[in-house]
Amino acid sequence: MKLFEFQGKELFKEYGIPIQSGRLLTSPEESLEALTPPMVIKSQVLTGGRGKAGGIKIWEGNDDLHGIVDRMFKLSIKGEQVNAVLALNSVDILKELYIAITFNKSDSTCVLIAGASGGVDIEKHALDDEQTMSVIPFNSLLGLSEYQIRMAAKTLSIDDYATFRSIVLGMYGIFKDYDAVLVEINPLAVTPDGLVAIDSKIEIDSQSYFRNEGKIRRFADEVFQLTGTDVFAAVEDTITYVPLSGNIGLVSDGAGTGMLTVDLVTQFGGTIANFCELGGITNEEIVYKALTKAAAGEGVEKMLVVLIGGFNRMDHMAEGIVKFSKENTKKIPLYIRMCGTLEDVGRRIMQEHHISIYENLHDAVKSAVEAEMEK
Amino acid sequence: MSIYVDQHTKVLVLGITGKSGRLQTKIMKDYGTQVVAGVTPGKGGQVVDGIPVYDFVSEARAHHQIDAAISFVPPQFFRDSCIEVIEQGIPFLVATAEGIPDHDVVDVLQYAALTGVTVLGPGSAGLIAPGKCKLGAHPPQMYQEGRVGVVSKSGALSYEVGKTLTEHGIGQSTVAAIGGGPLWGVKVSDILLKFESDEETDMIVMLGEIGGTMEEQAAEVITHHISKPVVALIVGKSAPKGKSLGHAGAIIQGNKGTVESKVQALTDAGAYIAKDSLDIVRIIKVLEGAKV
Repeated sequence: MKLFEFQGKELFKEYGIPIQSGRLLTSPEESLEALTPPMVIKSQVLTGGRGKAGGIKIWEGNDDLHGIVDRMFKLSIKGEQVNAVLALNSVDILKELYIAITFNKSDSTCVLIAGASGGVDIEKHALDDEQTMSVIPFNSLLGLSEYQIRMAAKTLSIDDYATFRSIVLGMYGIFKDYDAVLVEINPLAVTPDGLVAIDSKIEIDSQSYFRNEGKIRRFADEVFQLTGTDVFAAVEDTITYVPLSGNIGLVSDGAGTGMLTVDLVTQFGGTIANFCELGGITNEEIVYKALTKAAAGEGVEKMLVVLIGGFNRMDHMAEGIVKFSKENTKKIPLYIRMCGTLEDVGRRIMQEHHISIYENLHDAVKSAVEAEMEK
Repeated sequence: MSIYVDQHTKVLVLGITGKSGRLQTKIMKDYGTQVVAGVTPGKGGQVVDGIPVYDFVSEARAHHQIDAAISFVPPQFFRDSCIEVIEQGIPFLVATAEGIPDHDVVDVLQYAALTGVTVLGPGSAGLIAPGKCKLGAHPPQMYQEGRVGVVSKSGALSYEVGKTLTEHGIGQSTVAAIGGGPLWGVKVSDILLKFESDEETDMIVMLGEIGGTMEEQAAEVITHHISKPVVALIVGKSAPKGKSLGHAGAIIQGNKGTVESKVQALTDAGAYIAKDSLDIVRIIKVLEGAKV
């Protein structure tokens, strides 16, 4: 789950990281009387690049704040409707820095990243200006060591080390306490009054909800109010569903074989209508649900079902397919390849219900691609 | 011997009393894997398929020699059970669970690295050395003894390719799946190095997919350390573009990760690129022909 800027800053405040003062507006009708210029008016969306999309405006005082706020609530940024606006008191920015704590997954370590040129073009800076970036790995069991924070401070030419240190330790606290996979401040501003976190970007590991649901419920409720997405519900469904534009619905029990199948379909001149992967340890209900979902997809004229079970049991898969076949109201032809754990039992069930299966993947794909839609 | 395990390997099963753990243990045991003990907290004293169950790894250790462990415990208990295995000095652990919090995975992998324990996974289907040992979920009927080593991220893809090779009379020395990632203990390149020094492996099949940079890293290893022929298949050529990465991810990964960059890196490293599973068979037959 990604947190909104205002949510991340709430955590920053709790962890002693300096932020600008301001107010959250959740409707254009809210009274703006107590607000005094100059202020920065920031749309609250979860997508990146809102500044370039007109989602951040400066209110100097000579134009109408109501107008700015009204227009911002009407914005849709990369398809995301603006339902909250953060009005912040301006600060003088002398320099913009970048700081983040995350994982370097290719090395299975935690990393502290410090960039001397923060701001909206940080990715570009990372590529062509490597000498101003430090990526400092640290051991998750030991946590951040003092010297590692000093290294980051050196990269950033920090004057006020004590404040910087407490900011980094605050970020680390959030990283650990909230099972965050990313805690980022971009930019961290150097102002005449010291360091200030101008933005916040925090992402909480959806795999950690089983132990954090209580702690992050307040954020999840706000995300639900502002976007309509129930983050907890989204996790319970292990099925991956990607709609595409062809005429073959694909259900597979592994991402690797699923992708191989998509490649084979393309190679044989067919097109995929949707990609549906069962995920995790599956059962009869899940495969039934996936088949129903794929069948309902736009443009589906036939379906490829590619199952090769290790943990996944073919007896369960067969039960799910039989259940779906009985209801298959659109009479969509199924091309099924089924093998693996308990395949004998699975085959027997399929035979009993007169559902034919293919022995190998190439044959199933070829037949599906070449078959004409049954009239 | 084959890599990591062989017919002498004595195995401990964590989470042996669960539904999946029970079934997989039976299939492993029927295949000939020496499963000597199981652990499930609170179920000590039970017997599963003739195998004694203990409450703690230390208790199992006290009664049995244990060379390797495989874990079927759910994500909530992953960290705790791995730490127990690591602290009992069991040198090789297969971790099958998916959906474990990143913080827990990183803790376990860093602790394992510090103590010299090898972790295959998490999210791994394990490995099979046909005719010797099966430590994971690979369906036994899809494999036969031979001299081709197979390494894959995806479990299912390693079944698929094993099955295809077997159907075409090409046996395997070991077939290993490291897990879908993006956090791994054993990496593709570690297994490549194992195959390179394995006397029972003549040729290597490497199965990769879009995303991440592991195949590029493997290409580096192939260039400098692998003399045996490597046949590579990267799936996902026609998959839709993935979601964009956050700032921190983009910074670490740069712009690597496409099929093109992986195929280019592997071609430059001297690997043979297969376009699908059957094409792997064709290339191996050509290579075998050239050898004679």
